Amino acid sequence: MDRRKMLALLGVSPTLVAGAPSYARTAPASAPSAGASVVTDRMITAVNPAVTPQLPKRIPLAPRLDKLDGKTIYLVDTDWGGMGQNDGILQEMQAWFAEHMPAVKTIIKVKKGNFVTDDPALWKEIADAKGDGVVLGVAG
Amino acid sequence: MSLEAGEIEQKYRIPVVAAAGSNVVAFGIGANATYNTGMPIRYVGVPFPFSGQPRSVLKGYIEGKDTVSGKPMMQAIIEGLTQPLTEHERMSGILPEAQPEPRLLAADTEDNLQRLFKERCWTDFNPVIIPTQERVAAMLKGTSHKPDEIVKSGAGTFGTRRPFTVEKVAVLAVMAGAKPEYFPVILALASMVPYQDSTTSIAQMIVVNGPIRKEIDMNSGLGALGPNNDANSVIGRSMTLIHKIIQGYDEGVTGFASLSNPLRYDNLCFAENEEALPQGWEPLHVQMGHKPTDSILTIFTGWNFINSTGWVEQHYAPQMLMRDYMSTLSGMSATLIMDPSVAELLNDVQGFKTKDMLGEWLSQNVEKTAASYWGNSIVSSMLGPLGAQGLEPYASWKKVPGETLIKPFTNPKSIRAVVVGGNTASVWFATDFMPEKGTSIDAWR
Repeated sequence: MDRRKMLALLGVSPTLVAGAPSYARTAPASAPSAGASVVTDRMITAVNPAVTPQLPKRIPLAPRLDKLDGKTIYLVDTDWGGMGQNDGILQEMQAWFAEHMPAVKTIIKVKKGNFVTDDPALWKEIADAKGDGVVLGVAG
Repeated sequence: MSLEAGEIEQKYRIPVVAAAGSNVVAFGIGANATYNTGMPIRYVGVPFPFSGQPRSVLKGYIEGKDTVSGKPMMQAIIEGLTQPLTEHERMSGILPEAQPEPRLLAADTEDNLQRLFKERCWTDFNPVIIPTQERVAAMLKGTSHKPDEIVKSGAGTFGTRRPFTVEKVAVLAVMAGAKPEYFPVILALASMVPYQDSTTSIAQMIVVNGPIRKEIDMNSGLGALGPNNDANSVIGRSMTLIHKIIQGYDEGVTGFASLSNPLRYDNLCFAENEEALPQGWEPLHVQMGHKPTDSILTIFTGWNFINSTGWVEQHYAPQMLMRDYMSTLSGMSATLIMDPSVAELLNDVQGFKTKDMLGEWLSQNVEKTAASYWGNSIVSSMLGPLGAQGLEPYASWKKVPGETLIKPFTNPKSIRAVVVGGNTASVWFATDFMPEKGTSIDAWR
């Protein structure tokens, strides 16, 4: 297609594109050329932009189990990704326990709310039911 | 996930193993444990991607290796629940603070300081203005606030404690190239950290309303969204520096945006063209309950920025094409950014006498299929669980056949309009940007 015709179709004046001296801007003669690097050995003291983070109080992890046999492990779906994105992987985990460690009882639970909300009622339910351990998953 | 695991471990003393992709693991055992939860949660790493994978692949993950330890996945889970705690995991109480950063950097040459700023990622990788004491002092004259005043403490990602002062913001404002008169706007911007991050390509937008726009010569007219104005460009750039230096966004440590977003270079900073609003259309900040004479900064967060491409055609009203384009958005939120000429057409010719009337119409007329709606993982993550728990209309939308047309914008007030531009083409953008509550710039004068 003819360039002039194409520009006209796009609503752009070919005349404007071809030459608009009033819009042309040139650097003053005294300005340094583009890309020129001014190297100086002058020493400069700068104010530090960095922020000092503050450390939180350290909290120890819960004691670990002596063994898993006879224990109840909750596999908790955090609903990351939504619409059952995690249930498959937790079901495969449950199947692995059933096949390789049948003395371990596993229970799958889905967290209420969504992946950014807490579900304290579920954590209490697990504690009240004497859950021994939790696998939370899967986030990404 | 670390917060939930920590709650179970701390409150109920039940051992937890968290399973996650490499990004969450890196954050969970790294910056989040060190600066946020204070608990070194035990993680196993699941290969990526796991969402949408067939069961055979997921089974392979379970039978494969934990990407953290390199051990078989199930062995790593069992050990995570049974291996005694290490000294590191038993640690409690207050630890010594991190080594405080000195107020001044060691004197050096301009070139070496530019190099240092890049090495420490104190830059958007364009050259910065070196914040000398003189320049910072001049910037501080742009506010009545004291240099040592704490602007905010919970500035880090997820609110981790990264307290910062007015002087620290002045340093960044100098680096971005700001004039002292921009400083109250940049302080208001800094007071809004932490900005939202995601592994997805999330971005922010800054809209300024009120008298300050004119006072500092912000552009709300011709070319306002391009690199054509000092205040717009520099204030936008300041947000990037605040995000990286004050919030502590660090790729691979605290941030894991897979593609990130080019909008993050300048964060779509502009002023609303309040003078060009049609009669009856209120400026954004007035819609949010502020006085017209208040100077307000509003931060929006979103993903999509769809260009109208051309101007409004006479045979197809602007709201019709807006409706069509908006059907690709999630339905959770929309902000239409439009030239004054489009606002005039909508007002005068199409009869939308207020911005809210346009939102109402679009809420009633934008449609998409249920399958497409739930195909957006942000929607399915946030609203899918609510539907599963019976909340309408999401519960019904989960049950209908995929090809069923639904109206995804359930809340007309979630559709907003901002007017900006120079009246040289009747163009607009459809975005899914969602505003936070506007914040006062006047409070930082």
